[in-house]
Parts: sequence; C-alpha cells; structure tokens
Amino acid sequence: MFAFQYRKAKTLKDAVEILAKDDEAKPLSGGMTLIPTLKARLANPTQLIDINGISELSGIEVKDGALIIGAATKHHEVATSKVVRDALPALADLASHIGDPQVRNRGTLGGSVANNDPAADYPSAVLGLNAKIITNKREIAAEDFFLGMFATALEPGELIVRIAFPLPKKAAYAKFPHPASGYAMAGVFIAQTASGIRVAVTGAGPGVFRWTEAEQALTKSMSAAALEKLTLAADDLNEDIHGTREYRAQLAKVMATRAAAALA
Amino acid sequence: MDHHHLFDVGGAHLSRLEDLRLIKGEGCYAADWNLPRQAHAAFLRADRAHAKILSINIDAARKAKGVLGVYTGADAVSAGYVKPLSMLTFAGKDGMKARLPNRAVLAHERVRFVGETVAMVVAETALQAQDAAELIEVEYEDLPVTVDPRATLEAGAAQLHDNVPGNMVFEQEAGDAAAVEAAFAKAAHVTRLKLDCTRVAPNPMEPRACLVAYDAGSGAYTLHTPVQGINMMRMQIAAYTGVPDDKLTIRAKEVGGGFGQRSIAYTEYVAAMIAAKALNRPVKWVSTRSEGFQSDSHGRANYIDAELALDRDGTFLAMRLDWIADLGAYLHPAGPVSPMRNPVTCLNGVYKTPALFGRWRVALTNTVPVSAYRGAARPEIAFTIERLVDESAAQMNIDPAELRRRNFIPKEAFPYKTPTGSIYDIADFHGVLDKALKIADVAGFDKRRTISEKRGMLRGLGMSTVIENSGAGMFPKDEVLLEVGSDGNITAFSISHSQGQGHETTFAQIIGDALGIPAERIQLQQGIAEKGLIGNHTGGSRTIVGAGTVCHIAAKKLIEVATPLAAEQLGVEPSQVAYAKGEFQSKESSKKITLGELAAKKPLSVTGEGKFGSTYPNGCHIAEVEIDPQTGVTDVVSYVTVDDCGTVINHAIVEGQMHGAVAQGWGQIFGENIVYDTDTGQLLTGSFMDYSMPKAGWIKDITIAEHTTFGTISPLGVKGMGESGCTASLGALTNAVMNALRPLGVPPLDMPLTAHKLWQAITSAKKGL
Repeated sequence: MFAFQYRKAKTLKDAVEILAKDDEAKPLSGGMTLIPTLKARLANPTQLIDINGISELSGIEVKDGALIIGAATKHHEVATSKVVRDALPALADLASHIGDPQVRNRGTLGGSVANNDPAADYPSAVLGLNAKIITNKREIAAEDFFLGMFATALEPGELIVRIAFPLPKKAAYAKFPHPASGYAMAGVFIAQTASGIRVAVTGAGPGVFRWTEAEQALTKSMSAAALEKLTLAADDLNEDIHGTREYRAQLAKVMATRAAAALA
Repeated sequence: MDHHHLFDVGGAHLSRLEDLRLIKGEGCYAADWNLPRQAHAAFLRADRAHAKILSINIDAARKAKGVLGVYTGADAVSAGYVKPLSMLTFAGKDGMKARLPNRAVLAHERVRFVGETVAMVVAETALQAQDAAELIEVEYEDLPVTVDPRATLEAGAAQLHDNVPGNMVFEQEAGDAAAVEAAFAKAAHVTRLKLDCTRVAPNPMEPRACLVAYDAGSGAYTLHTPVQGINMMRMQIAAYTGVPDDKLTIRAKEVGGGFGQRSIAYTEYVAAMIAAKALNRPVKWVSTRSEGFQSDSHGRANYIDAELALDRDGTFLAMRLDWIADLGAYLHPAGPVSPMRNPVTCLNGVYKTPALFGRWRVALTNTVPVSAYRGAARPEIAFTIERLVDESAAQMNIDPAELRRRNFIPKEAFPYKTPTGSIYDIADFHGVLDKALKIADVAGFDKRRTISEKRGMLRGLGMSTVIENSGAGMFPKDEVLLEVGSDGNITAFSISHSQGQGHETTFAQIIGDALGIPAERIQLQQGIAEKGLIGNHTGGSRTIVGAGTVCHIAAKKLIEVATPLAAEQLGVEPSQVAYAKGEFQSKESSKKITLGELAAKKPLSVTGEGKFGSTYPNGCHIAEVEIDPQTGVTDVVSYVTVDDCGTVINHAIVEGQMHGAVAQGWGQIFGENIVYDTDTGQLLTGSFMDYSMPKAGWIKDITIAEHTTFGTISPLGVKGMGESGCTASLGALTNAVMNALRPLGVPPLDMPLTAHKLWQAITSAKKGL
C-alpha cells in the first residue's frame, strides 16, 4: 500500500466537492476491490473519500413500480431486506450469493455496479431488469451504463446515488461461482418485464451482455426445454486457466436453463 | 494397566485449553512481536523466472526517505550466507552423492524463480521500505526457463546450476529390480498409470514473519519467527550463517498453521540478520499473502509412473515406480529427503506385495522451492498404490474391497518386515476395512447409484486403505521438563511446537492422567530457548509418539523423584509413601503433603526423555461422490474415515486433525494447483483469486470412526494422526470420481479434478473421442 489521506464525507455534496477538486482522490464504499488493489500497490490515490454512512446513499423502498436501493447498501442488507425479498426476491437471492459473508457485510451495490467487474453478479440484474442508475448528475439507463470490462458511463467525480430496478413479473438468477474467487464464472439473470423477456449474462464474457437468442426462445416458451437446442456463441467469451470459452458457454447455458426452470 | 482406559477420566472430549486465549485475540503470533528501535524490511523479488543479473542500481533507494540500508547479493556473499543446510546426506544410486546447489540469501548474479529475494531495503517504517524497494533498478538478461518436472530432466532443458548437470540433484533406487522384472514377466495382468501429485501452496493462515535482533556486545542473535520447533530452526540458521548455536536464540509463541512450511530457515530470516548486525537495530519483516505464494515452500510436486503386476486371481506380484520429485529452483534442507525416504518406507502400503522396485530422481525447475507438506510424500506413495489397486480391480472386474482383502498383510503377521526393511508394528487392516464398509453402507451403493442416475447424476464410490510411517525423528531424543509450582500446578516445557494441533490440551491430559490431577492444572510452554531442551519439532505426525509419550514418562519420573522428598517431610521411609492425585500420604498415619507444598520448600522439577522408533498409523477412507455431467461439478455426498492411530488421547482433537487433513486432500484433488506459465515461468496462480482453497461449506459431514490397535513403540500405545487424513483422502476421492466416470469410458485423469476438467472428459467420452 502507498500512503494516502483518509476522509469521511458527511454528505453527498461534501463527497462530490472533494472528488471534483482532486482528480487523484477515490471514493471508498465497501472497498472490496479498491482495498486489495491498494494492498497490491496497483493504485496510488491521494485521498480515499469514505462515502459510507451518507444518508442520500442509503435506503431501500418500492416506489412507482420500482425497487429503489441506495448505492451504499451492503449486499447483506439487500439479501435480507424484507422489502427486497417481497418485491424482487431474485435480487435478494443474487445478493446472498456474492462473495462470502465478509464481503457481503462490507461490499455495496453502488460499488459493485460502478466497478463493473466482468464477473460481478449485480450487473446482470441491472441489465436484466433494465434498471436506472441515478447519479449525483443524471439518470443513466442500464443499456448505456456498462461499457465493457471495468468501464462504465460514469464521468470523473460522478457518484452512483441509487439504483431503480423496475419490478418484473418474475425474475430468477442462477450462478456458477468461480472455484477460487467466488465471482461468477457464469451468472444468468432472467426477467419477465413489461417490455418482454430479458436474459443478462455475467462472468462468461468481457462484460455483462444480453443473450438475445435465449430471450427469443424463452418468449415462445418460458421453460428449460426452450433453451435445449441453443448454444451460446463462444467466440467472444473469456478463456483462462480456469475454463475454456466452450466451458463458459456451456455454464451460461446451464445457468440460463436453471433460471428458466425456476420461472417456468 | 489397561491403557485403553487411560484417558477416559482425563476427558476424552476435553475442550482445547488454548482456545479461549486464541479466540479472544490474546495469542502472540510472529507479527505481534515488537522491540524498541525496530526497523522494517521489504524485499525486492525477481519478477522473472530465470535471468542473469547484469546490474543492480540501489542509489535512489538508498537516498529515499527513512531508508537505513539496502542490501543485495553482494552483501549475502560477503557475509558468507550462501550455503543452506541439506539433509540429503545419504548415498544414491551407485553411491551417488547429492549435487547441492548454493543459494545466496539475496540472489547473486542470477535469479532462478519468480519471487526469489533479490534485494532487501530496511527503513524506519514498513511503508518506507516498500516504497524504496520499488526504486531499485535491476538490469536482467533473460535465460530460457524450465518448469515442467519431466521435461527438465531431458536433454536440451534450460540448466539451473553449473554443479547440477541435467538439473538432476540425486538419483536413487530401492527394492529388487530382478525380482520385479521376473514377476512382471509372468504376470497375468499389468496395470499402468501416470500419477501426478500436483504442486500446491500450503497457505497457513498466518503469513511468515520475523523479527531479528542483534546484540553487539555478545555477538548473539535473537530471531522471533514461526516454527514447528525452535531447535530445527536454530540448526538451520546456524548452518546457513556459521553463527554457533549458543549465539542464536529462536523465539516463538503461537504459530498459525504449519503443514511443514514452517520448518525452514528462509532467506528473508537470514538476510534480516545481515541488516540487524549492520544497523545494530532489530529488523522486522512480515510477508504479504502475495509474497507467500511465491516464496513460502510449496508442497507435493511428485510425478510418478507406476505399474502393478497381478496374478490371475488378483494377487499382487510386484510393483514398479519411476518417480520424479520436483524440488523447484533450490533445495530446502529437508525438501528432497521426504520424497526419497518416506515412499520407500511404506512402498508396499498395506499389502504383502513380495517384489518392489522404484527409481527416484530429484529434479530442479525454475519454480518456488518445494518442501514437506502435511504427509511429506506419504500421501503420494499411498495415492500411487491405491490408484493402482483400484484401476486393477476395475480392469480385472474384481470388487475393489475384495481385491484389497486378498492382498492385505494379515493381522497375525505383525510385527511385519516389509520388502524394503520397515517393521510395521501392529495393525488390523481387515478390521479397519470391514468397519469402514459398514459405516459407509457400501452394500447399498448400487441402489444409491440408480437413484442418482434417474436425476441425471453420475455417482461413484472410492476407497483407499493406507499406512504411513510416524514416530522416529532426527534429533537424538525428545525431552519434556516439568516444573511444579508452589500451588501444585505444573508447567511443562517442550520443543515440539503446536501450529494449531492442540499440544497444550493433549500434553496436559497425558501429564494430568499420570499424576491424577485435572488437565487444567498443567500449563504447556513451547519454544522456551532458555530451558535448553533437546527435542524434535512437530512434523511427521510424530509429536504424540515422541514428546507426548515423554510427557507420561516425565510425570512418572516426577512421582519417583518426589517420593523420597515427601517421605523426608512426612518422617517415614519412602516405601511407606503412597502417591495419588497430587498428594503423598504416609501409609502409617494420616499425614499428607501435596506436590505444591513440596515445591514450596524446595524447587521441584524433572526432565523426562525418550527415543522412539517408527510406528505406523493406518486407515481406510471411503468417499462417495455425485458428479453433475452438465457442469462437471463433484459433490462429495459421503465421506467416512476409519483410522488406527493407536490410543486416542482426545477424540475432539483427533477429529479436528482428521477434518483439516481431509479438507487439504479435498483441496488438492478438486482445486488447489500451482500453475506456472510454461514459456515464461510466471506464477499464474499467485493469489486466492486464482488458487482454489477448499472452502467451508464445500465439505460437509465427515463421519469419523476408529478401529485402533495398541501401538508397540510408545508405552501409551499412540501412533500419531496429524497427516493420515491427507494420506488416505487423495486416493479415496480420486477413486470415487473415476468410479463414477469409468462407465462412460473416461480414462484415468490427473488431479486436480476440477469441474472444468471433468466436464471436458465427460463431453469427450460422450462424443466417443
């Protein structure tokens, strides 16, 4: 780790102002990616601006047909919140499978989505539900937010304040965890939304993406059997010592099948 | 005395006496030591696997804020810290002497693995030292690398050390080549397998650390560092540095996991001695987990081609092995000894195979040096034999339990002299197997397999019946000192050092049992250098046989020594004094004196000692697995262990040891695997993001049972059990997976049996590839 200044922001305005003045400052939410990066001396920020405890970033509520969750909400809170479990149980289920208990008690929704790790769980729900990312500056549609591996539409100094998940008729998430890291080797979020079936895949590729062939097949019939003949094209998927592209394509298909079976 | 009832009174399930202190955070681990004026070290490590060092520029680092000193290979060479101890002192094939490479504690002129210590910066703070280490500029000239353990011995492989031609440190043979040849010639069936016991990272919970102090007046060093025994560490540091034993004090209290990895005098510890002396300040270093992956000793890394010859009825006629032990870029002191010695000791396993032969070669590669890892080649030889036996059973269509029974050394044959000269003291392999078969309900397996099939799952059952050597030890004897306090409480001192095994409880139970006082009244102190005790470190499952037995001997001696003292106080003849429960009583009157009262009058202490030969814990493990052909994921649905570890002192501790060791075997079979890039020698699994440790929740119920015989080496009947879970689980789990996959036509697979690998194997088999 390199030396840095730690500051706790009291308000959102406070945090945004500090970040605006210092390009090298970084917001600290759960720190589940940032802290290991610092420990490995791969980042050298001037300041860490702790945004935990800022009231604008907290809260879970259902309003106007959407589940709205503050960015600093920890995974464990999402997993166990009665509001989430009643309104969008698939999201609570997803949150309960992130990392391990330590991670779930520190890591936050906003932190995960802003980081856009290609193997993170939340991006699949954000894209699968066509959620709105509300920042201190604007609202960004999920379709416009994720720009590939660790890249998002967020501008410097822009912070996620909350995320609004339109409530689907039904949704389900199935995940195959990476044997070492616990991230998704393949995670598939399927939602029956007002605008149709959406299937979002995380972990298998360089970033979260929609599997349109699966959406079409499931539109005809919401069943595991509907996916049987499909093969996810492996060309653009990840390949490393933990699995070939073909294996990841298979895992994505199996997870999609399991999520579909849960919805059938 | 009926030894089997020895420990019922003392509390066979006594909770561990050390746990409250540890869970309250009151333990003192290596990084918890601090000294006034201490400085902090950081290491610059090689970022490439094999290269000449053309130049090192330390000017910027030296001038950096807080920096007190920067040290390189030149300093290591000028200190003479270039030749680590090697215990590979015996002769090999045709009298071959081991070719021992030197290793300067800071790399000199050449680096040979990623992570090797190249330079050390010492500064006022750890952060300053880390910052300055990044300012060091090293100019390298890359050399070709060799990381494949088999290819490294072939012509044309990159060469690591000038004095190790062909990268081969040592070659030995054991057994009777001619008898084996003859047996194979007449065999009805021969089973051949390539068996790789892959390289793993021990990853103890506590990272390595040291705090080294130097006293200029006396020229003496004190090293605070994690150990398995202070004497083992001192011996190695003394050999590396030439500093005599009496100028070296090793201090350790709590040690957070060991597995063999703690037994080594690492370069960082020795390098810190250079700085402590030069600066005349204590120097502290605490490893990060990332450094640990690339500098803690690795384990296993044995690569075996094995053949078993059988008669028509399944009788084992002969076994032949060709064994390569990959030791990495340099040799740790005992690293190559484990794979050369332990497999030979138990070469026949639990079987009466009459003819055995093996060739062993010690190879070097551009990788982290390898050393003992829980079992230290005992699991490897057991895995080799048990894979051969199970494959033979399948190929010859004989029930695997029945094939084992036909070849077991029978109960009445003990003590049994093996073809390689070991004396197995006592065992009941048939009894162990039968009990395990019953508990695992092997008879009901076919029905369970059918149910799994209906759910689309592949089910398999595998067993492993194994034996391993324990006891013995490299130090001349084990000593335990008992000091009696005036309150009658006893302080015991041992060299054998717990890394989590629970010595404080087990030893207290043994002493308490012998003295008839509660275990809670005995406190164990480990690693107290001032007591000057001789003894083995904790390793090789031998502690209970050595130091544990000596606890009993010392307690008996205490009664013997104290009886005449009590008689004198009571005014009677020693023959008229009876001891019970901490008190001496006159047989002639009601007069009594307690141990504490005696100690209050005059210091009362005894040192017990003992020396013990080898004994042989053994057992049968049965695993049942369900494999999802869609994903390749294996779920171990049942795991049964039946072990003969001799007398059980504390069931909870025995079960805990079994849980941990089986989990390590599980880790190795299903995930753990150190992977190097073949072309560059870069470590590809250098963090928990890529290296799969077994996780809580993966491992469900393990059913643990015992079928013990009374060991003949220790008067307590103990045999040891710290490693048997590793020794048995590698084979049982692999056999279970292969049992599930064999019907599909899947050929024998190498560990780790990852979901990815199994899915590929299942998919290929289904395609008829």
